[in-house]
Amino acid sequence: MSFTHLHVSTAFSAHYGVSWPDELAQAAAAQGATALGCTDRDGLYGTVKHLKACMAAGIDPVVGVDLSVFDDEGDHEGGVPDSQMAGVRFSKTRFSAERVTGRVVILAHGHNKGAGYKALCRLISDSHARTTGKAGGTVPVAVTRAELASRVLDPETLKPVLTVLLGPDSDVGLALGGRRYLRPRTLFKSWLDAMPAGSVAAEIVTHLSAPGEPLSTAHAVRMLKLAQEYGVPAVLTNAVRYCEEDGAATADVLDSARTLMSLPELSAAPLLQPNGQGWLKTPDQMVELGKEIIHAAGYGAADLQVLLAQTEALADRCRMDPVSDMGWKQPVVPEAAVIGIEGDPLAELAQRCEAGIARRFPGISGKAEADMRARLQHELKIIARLGFASYFLTVAEVSRMILDMNVRAAARGSGASSLVNYLIDISQVNPLQHDLIFERFLSGDRSTLPDIDIDVESAERHNVYRRIFDRFGSQRVTLMSMQNGYRARGAVRDAGMALGMDDGDVGEIAKQLWRFSARKFREALEEKPELREFAGRVEQRNFSENQQLDLLVDLTERLDRLPRHISMHPCGVILGDATLLDRTPVQPSGLGLPMSQFDKHDMDPMGMLKLDVLGVRMQSAMAFAVREIIRIHPSKAEVVAAGAHPAGPGGSGPDYIAEDGLIDLNAVPLDDEPTYELIRSTHTLGCFQIESPGQRELVGKMAPREFNDLIIDISLFRPGPMKSDMVRPFLEHRHGFAPETYPHPDLKPVLQETHGVTVFHEQILRTFDVMTGCGLAKADEFRRALSNEVKEGQVEEFFRREAKARKYSPEVVDRVWGTLKSFASFGFCKAHGAAFAVPTYQSAWLKAHHPEAFLAGLWEHDPGMYPKRLLVAEARRMGIPILPLDINRSGAEYRVERVAEGPDRGKLGIRLSLNGIFGLSGTELKRIVAGQPYDSLADLRARSRLSKPSIKRLAQLGAFDTLHRESGGTANRADLVHHLQNLQSKPARKGAEVIEGQLALPLGDVELRNVKPGLPEPTTVENVRAELDLMAVDVSEHLMSSHRPLLDRLGVTTADKLLGLRNGTEVLVAGVRIATQTPPMRGGRRVVFISIDDGTGCVDSVFFHEAQEHAGPLLFGTRLLLIRGTTRRTGPRGISLSANMAWDLSQVDTLPFPERETGERGSADPGHREPGGAGSDNPEQEFWQPGPLEGISRNLAITGLGS
Amino acid sequence: MGTFSESVDVVCAPTGEAAELRWGGREYRVCAEPLRWYERRQWWAEERRAPLGSGPGLVDHEIWRVQVLPAGRSGPQETPAAEPPEPLTLDLVRHTGSGRWRLLRIHDALLPKDALQHKSA
Repeated sequence: MSFTHLHVSTAFSAHYGVSWPDELAQAAAAQGATALGCTDRDGLYGTVKHLKACMAAGIDPVVGVDLSVFDDEGDHEGGVPDSQMAGVRFSKTRFSAERVTGRVVILAHGHNKGAGYKALCRLISDSHARTTGKAGGTVPVAVTRAELASRVLDPETLKPVLTVLLGPDSDVGLALGGRRYLRPRTLFKSWLDAMPAGSVAAEIVTHLSAPGEPLSTAHAVRMLKLAQEYGVPAVLTNAVRYCEEDGAATADVLDSARTLMSLPELSAAPLLQPNGQGWLKTPDQMVELGKEIIHAAGYGAADLQVLLAQTEALADRCRMDPVSDMGWKQPVVPEAAVIGIEGDPLAELAQRCEAGIARRFPGISGKAEADMRARLQHELKIIARLGFASYFLTVAEVSRMILDMNVRAAARGSGASSLVNYLIDISQVNPLQHDLIFERFLSGDRSTLPDIDIDVESAERHNVYRRIFDRFGSQRVTLMSMQNGYRARGAVRDAGMALGMDDGDVGEIAKQLWRFSARKFREALEEKPELREFAGRVEQRNFSENQQLDLLVDLTERLDRLPRHISMHPCGVILGDATLLDRTPVQPSGLGLPMSQFDKHDMDPMGMLKLDVLGVRMQSAMAFAVREIIRIHPSKAEVVAAGAHPAGPGGSGPDYIAEDGLIDLNAVPLDDEPTYELIRSTHTLGCFQIESPGQRELVGKMAPREFNDLIIDISLFRPGPMKSDMVRPFLEHRHGFAPETYPHPDLKPVLQETHGVTVFHEQILRTFDVMTGCGLAKADEFRRALSNEVKEGQVEEFFRREAKARKYSPEVVDRVWGTLKSFASFGFCKAHGAAFAVPTYQSAWLKAHHPEAFLAGLWEHDPGMYPKRLLVAEARRMGIPILPLDINRSGAEYRVERVAEGPDRGKLGIRLSLNGIFGLSGTELKRIVAGQPYDSLADLRARSRLSKPSIKRLAQLGAFDTLHRESGGTANRADLVHHLQNLQSKPARKGAEVIEGQLALPLGDVELRNVKPGLPEPTTVENVRAELDLMAVDVSEHLMSSHRPLLDRLGVTTADKLLGLRNGTEVLVAGVRIATQTPPMRGGRRVVFISIDDGTGCVDSVFFHEAQEHAGPLLFGTRLLLIRGTTRRTGPRGISLSANMAWDLSQVDTLPFPERETGERGSADPGHREPGGAGSDNPEQEFWQPGPLEGISRNLAITGLGS
Repeated sequence: MGTFSESVDVVCAPTGEAAELRWGGREYRVCAEPLRWYERRQWWAEERRAPLGSGPGLVDHEIWRVQVLPAGRSGPQETPAAEPPEPLTLDLVRHTGSGRWRLLRIHDALLPKDALQHKSA
């Protein structure tokens, strides 16, 4: 007996389904099923995974959706019983949650060349079309019955290609719970009237709940009888939400997360599932259920057979052919006409490459030309064989379009391995120069569409998207989505809510959860020092609270990884032909552009061409810097002078600087010595890819001298190489501490550039090729297979056999195989490293030559991993003046400005921007800037219409100090703030007009002049606190400055002094946290890196296991840290700290003050007197004064506490 | 209606439903087709743990409503033979893990004396 489950929600029914598609498919196949349905709520979110899982399990997929339905009243308004309802009001509420009558399941028919699947996609897109895609939208995902009816018929054959199941959640099913006889019949009849004949079936479900409850057998019987009455086929399902019984509790928690109600509340409502019977029951169990229903209905055995046969008949009708129905693995690209070509795409591509040769390789000849042409022919041959010419032309079209917008763009990833890409301007990296292998990108043995990623300025990304939609037409383009699953913090919050725990309590616990998978919560409780206190509370089971904590841990683990919602993928754009929207449902994204319900894993199976257009803030920051440079130095001569650039061929500066001062960053030669000097200094904060604590350490050790070093550096700094200890041998060989060794002389050409250590995927490919002669395409297949346990065995066998045949000794074979095996899975593609190294170099170049403009760009676009305040501190460290906020000089952006007065006169400084001030709205900002300059507060109020709180905040930040001074007033900033505060508490009446009346008089600012003096001038600490609170940046001075007396008393060493210390010196350091990282480590033991900033630079400290034990909850929760540790010299210019203890600097009584000197030393120094012990328990308290961070809780972006 | 939780021995028919039961030292015979359903539990209040893989029985339990009569051959009753005994309606719960049965509720307002005695015992 076979039974097909037609109504199954997978985990991709967010906050509803529990089990993953592959679990379900495997279970179904094991039960003997030949097909399985996937009917996720509101979309096809799990469908492609379902397809894949069914194919793997050897069963047929059935595809459908579980959708809400609006009532019909809007469709024929005459039928509205309440005639008072006015038309206007009516249309407003037409598509609201109250108008949803219930949910139905819709299944697509198969084996009709995709007609059913297409109708399903379009129907789902209909159901989302009215939603906003933004959180808090009021329109639910639902279809009207008219829409449903219109999609059911195939427009070509006019035959039904969808079947609608009316089950327990439909309006009919819900009405069956009542006592009314007529109501469900009316509703059922109206479905039959609305839908084309033969497109409706009744869904019979019993969860064996108590008589009278939903999903009871009695309800199933009523639905069955209704179907029989109207001669509609009935099918049996179990409305599955979980694969096994165990999932029922998870479903309860998901119900709670979806409805935002606790389990006790839901239970009382009652809104929970009546029991836990919604699992994937076996065919026998389903037949038993059928028997029970038939028996309770008073029918006979023949009726049972009819019910089961109808179920299977519908299942058969809905079996999908992944290939012919859904286009499985058949790549679709835009039509040739759309990308502007007629004729053969391949000929067009070859012709464009030819044109590219003259541009990219001017004057090339001889062997170089022959090699280059041979490579080009090789690539074109493979592209031809795969039929991907249109794909390349499409990407080239997008690339050209972006460059035409004057947006910085750079290809990244393995696409840089292709000469074709270089010739048609998709990529900026010459693959021949860096020895990059085309097969790593695309090979004749692999028919999946390759990935080409394009980095663009982040600030322009959305414009680029819109342009792509315009260019290709909205029927051919959609954004890709991504699934966001539960991680530990979200899981613990929702589990806590389900249990009805206190929000604050759960929040406190969530804060301590630091990047581990929720599934390992209980394990983490035992291991992680920062959870020790919580673990103790769980342990104490004698208090009732702790029963909940134990459950909290279990439920958190249950939620792990389950999808929560989809969102726009940060970079994926899907391009197709005019049928794209027949092949994927779309829904609005937050951006307003349509977004596919498929994620990146679904692209290749569905033959979808995905282009990654990634917004990179660094590209925006660099573009900004280049614009600032030309603004401040509007000629080539000025730029050359300011940046100390070389004289160039003509003596007037290098070619990459245009006459007007515009720098062509992509044309800057990659051998600029000051740039490498800057990188070697490790002062690389703000530089792309090399600013993290670990990278600063690595560049310090490695001391890069040339561009290839940067490629290697970036490739080495990856979890894999770090974890498997590739870095140490590489450095030893590089610096000549240990001789380079090669497993075999044949491999020397392959491994020489990395001193015998295998770093790149390209080297793995060549190693395979050298030792087995397999060819590079095969080699890449092997490399991919190495991450698969089963296939790895086959590869090993082949490798050993072929290498042996080529007379390599067993020792060599063993050794090389060991390397291949361990490095292949995580080694880095050199092409990728090369593509990354370009912006790394460019950003370092800008920092070396034009630091003010570069830092302004960084502040403006905030590209890095650190809080912005650290980059402000970096400017301070570099001696670049930070110019305060000023209502007339600050604009909407950070600006480089020549300092006009004071000690820094003549220097270039950076003026703070009005953007990013707490509470200042975007429109207020625009009006301020439009109205500049202002001659008085009254003028400002009148023209910018700023709110009173905004004006007060600007005053707190000193934005009126200059105006105030010029007005001749004698009061200070505190007095002004006080004055504005008083105005704020007064009602906004005529008072303003009096001031406005004075506008015309040339009296200056009477208001400012007349502010009553009296309050003490705000201290620097108070000013800095206001800056941190309102801008998350310390401007007036470094926030640690005011703690200096305390730090001196503690004997703290500053960051700038560390480099002068010997290796292994024990020191105390103190500062504000800027970064916390827990990278994966060799041996699996967690290592925590904490970096702090003390105003003289960064201190990077590492906490190994024992230090973590000592530091406990301080590891992740504290902003101001005192750390004790020993220095570790990491290179000629690098030093870090191995921590052994940490303290919270604001808990003064816990700090390790040195013993006060007593006895003869004391008497020898009469000036140094013991503090009078009487009365004060803690004499050190005197050294603590509340610092700028005291009392600020608003802005986490101040410190590096992470998310 | 009284609420109990005491152990009951149940003998099932080959088809799986309860046929006979022994409760408080007496034998009863199921005299009408029993009703069976699954009822939700307030597991978040009743359980200390709910780890993944707990298996069945956490969220619901199986309830059987049976009508029983004292088994025929259990000896002469005090009631006159002319008056047939009233059937007793019991709700039994089967523990999912162990398969053991417990008495959950007695429905009839007229409780037989011996049942009451059990309760107070």
